[in-house]
Amino acid sequence: MEEKVPRSNIIETEIPMGTVHPAALEPYRVRLFVEDEIVQEAEITIGVNHRGIERIMEGLPVEKANSLTEKICGICSNAHIWNSCRTAEIGLDIEIPERARYIRVIMSELERLHSHFLYLAHGCETVAHETFSMRAFYLRETVMELLAMIGGNRVQYGCSVLGGVRPRCDLDEAKLLRLKDDLDKIEEGLTDFAQRFMADSILISRVTGVGALPAEQAIRLAVTGPSLRATGVARDLRTTMFEYDDFDFNIITQPDGDVKSNLLMRALESFESINIIRQAIANIPEGKVVNRDWEMFDTDIIESYIEVPRGTLYHSYALESGRVRHCVIRTPSMANIGAMQYACIGDHITDAQLCIVQCDPCFTCTDRAIEIIRR
Amino acid sequence: MFEINAIALNSIFAVIITVIVCFIISTLLPGIERKYVHARIQQRIGPPVTSPGIMAPIKFLFKENIKPSSPVPGLYKALPVICFLVVLFLFIALTPFAYAIPALASLVAIVGLLKVEEICYVLMGALSKSIMSVRMPFPDRVKGAAHLNTTRSFIEDISARRSLRMITYGSFPLYLALFAPVTQARSIFLQDIVMYQQTHGPFLFTVAGGISAVVFFIGYMIMLNEYPFSIIKAKCDVIEGPYMEYASKYRSVVFITRGFLMLTLGVLFSVLFIGIPPTVFSPTILINIFVVLVFVFMMGIFSAFTPVFTNRQLLPTILGSTLLGILAIVIGLL
Repeated sequence: MEEKVPRSNIIETEIPMGTVHPAALEPYRVRLFVEDEIVQEAEITIGVNHRGIERIMEGLPVEKANSLTEKICGICSNAHIWNSCRTAEIGLDIEIPERARYIRVIMSELERLHSHFLYLAHGCETVAHETFSMRAFYLRETVMELLAMIGGNRVQYGCSVLGGVRPRCDLDEAKLLRLKDDLDKIEEGLTDFAQRFMADSILISRVTGVGALPAEQAIRLAVTGPSLRATGVARDLRTTMFEYDDFDFNIITQPDGDVKSNLLMRALESFESINIIRQAIANIPEGKVVNRDWEMFDTDIIESYIEVPRGTLYHSYALESGRVRHCVIRTPSMANIGAMQYACIGDHITDAQLCIVQCDPCFTCTDRAIEIIRR
Repeated sequence: MFEINAIALNSIFAVIITVIVCFIISTLLPGIERKYVHARIQQRIGPPVTSPGIMAPIKFLFKENIKPSSPVPGLYKALPVICFLVVLFLFIALTPFAYAIPALASLVAIVGLLKVEEICYVLMGALSKSIMSVRMPFPDRVKGAAHLNTTRSFIEDISARRSLRMITYGSFPLYLALFAPVTQARSIFLQDIVMYQQTHGPFLFTVAGGISAVVFFIGYMIMLNEYPFSIIKAKCDVIEGPYMEYASKYRSVVFITRGFLMLTLGVLFSVLFIGIPPTVFSPTILINIFVVLVFVFMMGIFSAFTPVFTNRQLLPTILGSTLLGILAIVIGLL
């Protein structure tokens, strides 16, 4: 695939959009430099949703800090609390019960499903195909109900704690049975959705070749997660995570890096998530779900990387008298902003928001730095 | 003299009654499309049927008006009213009582009125300067930002340019379809077209009529800016496009006009292709309403299953329907 080169010397007009725009789920500013409605360059600016969570975490007891990380994102809240707990567990060398690991994997994969379904719905909404968007939301609803069944809430589940998972999130036979049944329904619905999507020639013509991102460029821009895999690069951090050692799954890739590849990638990856959850249900070991037998001590800076629905999530902090110090969190969308800007180039301005959406942005989580403008 | 005055008064009275009845029906059309087509297809309850066409305009009437940011606010605020009046005149031209005024009840007048409607969209887009783009108080031209000296454009400006393009080629299929019945009736006056069809049967049931009906339907959707032809108000870039800055009573007029245009274009089809003009004093108005409802249902189904078209899909579609329109006219002439 040819690399797209911004033709900066012929830029005539700038069309700024945002920070409030109905095609964007979150506030951000995008400056589109266009020539005859074709985008020549794009510049995304974030920073209107900074909440200073790392600053608030500074000095908090690690248990409270972990709970706070869940508030970073409304879509991958479980991923944040899991990785934050995981960071401390690595530093304090806490052993996690097998059953808790399985429940964490189930929660993580359910969250991936709901995130990917939201992505499919948002993508279809951005191309103004409301019917497909609604279908994806219906699929997501079942997943949300399952998450609420396990975690007690639809968004903030509070599942992971230091040493395992909360006892209320343990899965009894009835819950496992419902999980199993609903997964069948989700799989059936998703298969139908994917078949209809592929059979819709108008929709396919609308998303094919739009926002193309070559693999070399994706690697150069340090793109992560499904957006990278949609360019054909088989890189998934789950293959290196010890939590996934017991699970057999494929890394899904797509060849073109365009909107179609991204949408299909998420749909196919959702089938793998269903497969992982089924394996977890079938093999979940008996035993306790939380290990309370650990001791607090001071640590140097600890780092933890996990694969979340949008890519690689990084948490790091040091522990000092049981309190969090020097906390740094990097969300996957931070790495993908370059890809969003690049994907817009050469496409019609109507597709610009779609090109940004194809990289599954989550700017509210990404707002981690603040710059004070002195006037 | 007294008799002529009495006939004129009766005609005016009949037109007023017809307009009022059809206007009331038109307020239900957006609700029918959204509740009974879109919502049913998408397996959701949808809004109350009176909500989009009646309750929303009434609600907007009582909302506080915001001062639109426009270089010519007077004209900008007048444009929705002009649009409504254009549709009203269009509808009056279709009633049999207007056939006595050939200058109004002719295809030239109808095309002219539709063109005024389209030009209004261009002006609305060009005169709207909303806060959604350039005026948003966000420091994006700062140290390190790219291209600091470009010309900045409002998103409504794109909409105005697109509207202009739609005038030049987008609405071409509709106008071709309008002139297809002329090839059979050999007259541009509605009275002659109606008379011809009442004698020879509806134009719709001829080969040329069938082809041009398809073209008319595509043009109908383009004229109503409905998905997939809603590029002048595509939510993914220009948001509401020309209508962005309209609030309170002006937005109410925009809503009402859309419903009335849906009805008027449906009635236009029944006049040109079936030969039945609208009048409440004849049971044939039920056929007019049936045709209008068929159009609304078909438009709802098409728009529910299609994404918004960009130039890549729009140009071939318009080109294809234009060729079909030309084919219909050629067949009609033969």
